[in-house]
Amino acid sequence: MACMWYPIGFTVAANPSAAVVKVNEDGTATLLTGTVETGQGSLTILAQIVAQELGIATEDVHVVSADTDATPMDTGAIASRTTYVTGNAARMAAEKAKLTLFEVAAPLMGVKPTQLEAGDHKIFVKGFPQRNMHIGDVANHARVVSGQPPIGSASFNPETLALDPETGQGKPFGTYVYATQIAEVDVDDETGEVEVIRIVASHDCGTAINPMLVEGQVEGGVAMGVGFALEEEMLFDSQGRHVNPNLTNYIMPTSLDTPEIEVDIVDSYDPTGPFGAKGVGEPTLVPTAAAIANAIYDAVGVRITSLPATSEKVFKALQAKREQQPKQIGAGMSRDGAAGNSAPVQ
Amino acid sequence: MAEKPKVIEKPDVLEKPDILKPPAPAPLVAYPIEVVVPEGRQQTPAVGQRASRADGRLHGLGQTKYIDDMYFPNMLFAKIKRAGIASAYIKSIDTKEAEAMPGVIAVITGRDIPCNSFGPSLKDQPVLADTRVFHSGDGVAAVAAISEQIATEALEKIKVEYQPITPVLDPLESLKLETPGIHAPSPNIYGHKIIKKGDVEKAFAESDRVFEGTFRTQMVEHVPLEPYACIAHWDPNGRVTIYSTLGRITLGRADVGRTLGIPMSRVRIVATVVGGNFGGKNEIRAEPVMALLSKKTGRPVKCVYTRAEEFTSSTTRHPLVMDYKTGVTKQGKILGRKIRLVLDGGAYCSWSETTLGKACILSAGPYNIENLYAEAFVVYTNKTMTGAMRGFGAPQVCFAYESHMDDIARALGMDPLEIRLLNAFDEGSLSPTSQKLHSVVVKESLLRAAKRFGWNGLGDDNGAGVKA
Amino acid sequence: MVNVTLKVNGETRSASVPGETTLLRLLRDQFNLTGAKLGCDVGDCGACTVIVDGQPVNSCLMLVGQVDGREVLTIEGLANADHLHPLQKLFEHFGSLQCGFCGPGVIISAKALLDENPDPSTEEIRDALGGNLCRCTGYTKMIEAIKGASCILRGEEVPAVKSA
Repeated sequence: MACMWYPIGFTVAANPSAAVVKVNEDGTATLLTGTVETGQGSLTILAQIVAQELGIATEDVHVVSADTDATPMDTGAIASRTTYVTGNAARMAAEKAKLTLFEVAAPLMGVKPTQLEAGDHKIFVKGFPQRNMHIGDVANHARVVSGQPPIGSASFNPETLALDPETGQGKPFGTYVYATQIAEVDVDDETGEVEVIRIVASHDCGTAINPMLVEGQVEGGVAMGVGFALEEEMLFDSQGRHVNPNLTNYIMPTSLDTPEIEVDIVDSYDPTGPFGAKGVGEPTLVPTAAAIANAIYDAVGVRITSLPATSEKVFKALQAKREQQPKQIGAGMSRDGAAGNSAPVQ
Repeated sequence: MAEKPKVIEKPDVLEKPDILKPPAPAPLVAYPIEVVVPEGRQQTPAVGQRASRADGRLHGLGQTKYIDDMYFPNMLFAKIKRAGIASAYIKSIDTKEAEAMPGVIAVITGRDIPCNSFGPSLKDQPVLADTRVFHSGDGVAAVAAISEQIATEALEKIKVEYQPITPVLDPLESLKLETPGIHAPSPNIYGHKIIKKGDVEKAFAESDRVFEGTFRTQMVEHVPLEPYACIAHWDPNGRVTIYSTLGRITLGRADVGRTLGIPMSRVRIVATVVGGNFGGKNEIRAEPVMALLSKKTGRPVKCVYTRAEEFTSSTTRHPLVMDYKTGVTKQGKILGRKIRLVLDGGAYCSWSETTLGKACILSAGPYNIENLYAEAFVVYTNKTMTGAMRGFGAPQVCFAYESHMDDIARALGMDPLEIRLLNAFDEGSLSPTSQKLHSVVVKESLLRAAKRFGWNGLGDDNGAGVKA
Repeated sequence: MVNVTLKVNGETRSASVPGETTLLRLLRDQFNLTGAKLGCDVGDCGACTVIVDGQPVNSCLMLVGQVDGREVLTIEGLANADHLHPLQKLFEHFGSLQCGFCGPGVIISAKALLDENPDPSTEEIRDALGGNLCRCTGYTKMIEAIKGASCILRGEEVPAVKSA
């Protein structure tokens, strides 16, 4: 098994993200964000955060991203920070747009803006949901009557404190995530080949904004971790030239090498994150190699101290271990093989 | 009197007009069009929902447009010549023969780049190597031609004269002060970090047992399925638009503006859906080169890395050498830990400073350790530059501290789960940098994983199919 | 230059290209069918997988001369104006694709498998995807979706997936 902790965001350095939310006249919305979708599903997560804040559905939010002309700055999809930092910025931007809607709706409903809430596509009075207006009606009124289009713009940067240069003490990150992975392996003690059969991954990501995408990240991270532990290595010759710059000789996990992966999301809530969320992109890969190395030790008693734990390395370690063990020879064995008072041969 | 411009005689490439033909118009691909109108109360609240991704349908239909799927009229294709030698001075670059090839429209080298250095922290990385080559995948020249094949062939015709320097490949070798500086006058050790807490030697003296271990990890690459790609083109107002697989467009725009010497308001970077990043596409690669080729030729220019270039010329993960020493009581409580990390920082700094910081801070593990001394170095070597890769040093140090933990557990005859529960962080624990931690759930994750797995302590040593 | 005529997604198409052009380049550069992707160009990654006469092939390894007069199915030929193919529907529903680059290749390999084996086991699915590299997903949700699609094609109900 292996457990780990991992930070969200940049080490001390400012890594802000900005976002703009515009509410359309029918209550649907558009989010502008400078982040880039690299496959992890961040745009969907951001849409869910904005939808939650405005009380509308995920499909009602359209996300425009990744254009330095049209979208606000973003430090990037890096360091597992998008859900936490860009998510906070998006939520705060949506909140500002929502407050404009409340200001417009309040006099129409005869209450103060602080008495209003948003949900189910409606702006309603807290505690009295039957007194409500459809969010589209409010948004339209805001534009054509009040002259206050609901647009919110916000930015967020995690709070950090620089590290002391002598002792390294300080507050380098806004928050951390934790996880444990346990691996079950099958080691062939004739060839040293390691097969990963099953990995149970228990990950903390704060509130899981979209459990399906969290599972996807864990499964992908574990597969990458298996490669890191057992197969992948960039090799250089004595002159520093690459030996295997291709996928034929750089061995990467295929569908046949990937184990059965069980994902468990730990209940957790981070008050500094959007709706309690933290992040999950990188942590999924961190404990896998250690879990596999520890599993190999448990299976065959050899400690591999350098990665990747190729079958050659494991085989050599097994051989070395066998040579160290004292051989016990049976005494008084007759020719037909029946042993006398012999001890078992290891 | 002005010299008459030299006319390069080339066979008329228009003899083969087919090669200049743009692709056929995109075929009509059939798919159902559904406009989703969610009902009230049906889809809210949104957080916690297993919502479908907006690009999920496009991916399944094959309709997601990645950079390589984009075509612009009159577009040229560019390829970059790679050094192929790990460490050398560049004495001369002769591009005349390549320029004279039919179908080749422009060739540039490092000399053509107004500000030939960039980097997220140390600006030690050239856009195209000009006087020195620091690793085998360094780019030395770029060609724009009417087809990818012609561009690749033209690379062979570019003649570069090198004066080789002995490469330094081992990070421990590079750590020694007498090894000549690869980036002289800068020293080989370009980053150093210490985290100190309590008195670690005193803790070892008070420990019942002291354990040591050394661990090493290898260099790996991100291998995104989509290779790095970008397209650049200019409009008549002197504004360049670059489509790129970059994951950090704000930084990218600043870097392009700086390397080309133009204001940022004249740079537009657009990223599409990227086919995998994992950290390898977080800084500019060929964007300034494409911008210059596009300016020189007056046409859009596209560059797509080959799979080989993904390995040789994009960032990789830092290999680490990690030394651990831990003092424990006989009940398994950690009293002190001493760590030394040496990061192989490759040919250029790239994201090494961030990786150094994270690796050092995380190296002690999620454990309450009052006496800690962690020292980390990052050194130059003549190998592919190491940069950001999913985890920034965390997977490497986790391999070390968790393997080390299991070794300690076994030596003490303890269940690996028990020793971790004894030492792990709680809510409000202080981290190695004395930060008070909140929303801590290490122990919960340990217990949940163990329950789900069916953990039953130390397994049997029978060599096959055992639980760990 | 060689002249080739072939059927692509049911339509007859022709082109005149240099003899060393691969089927992948023909599809992408000439016919503008950019679904099949260029991941390595040497047959290692499977992102270029298409179906030729019923067999899944790495189109980057096939020259145009070898495909003259044959039938090719690409990802663009799976859906029609009324329906997505069950594989496409479930890949979307289960979140099986992340960056999506390997997606067309994987879905085509899965289609080839289901055409031959309408009720594959998990092992058989892993085997069929063995030539398609994916860096993002770990294959888990793809296998669930392919199993589910096989149920739909057999006219059965798709079993619910247990979530974390």
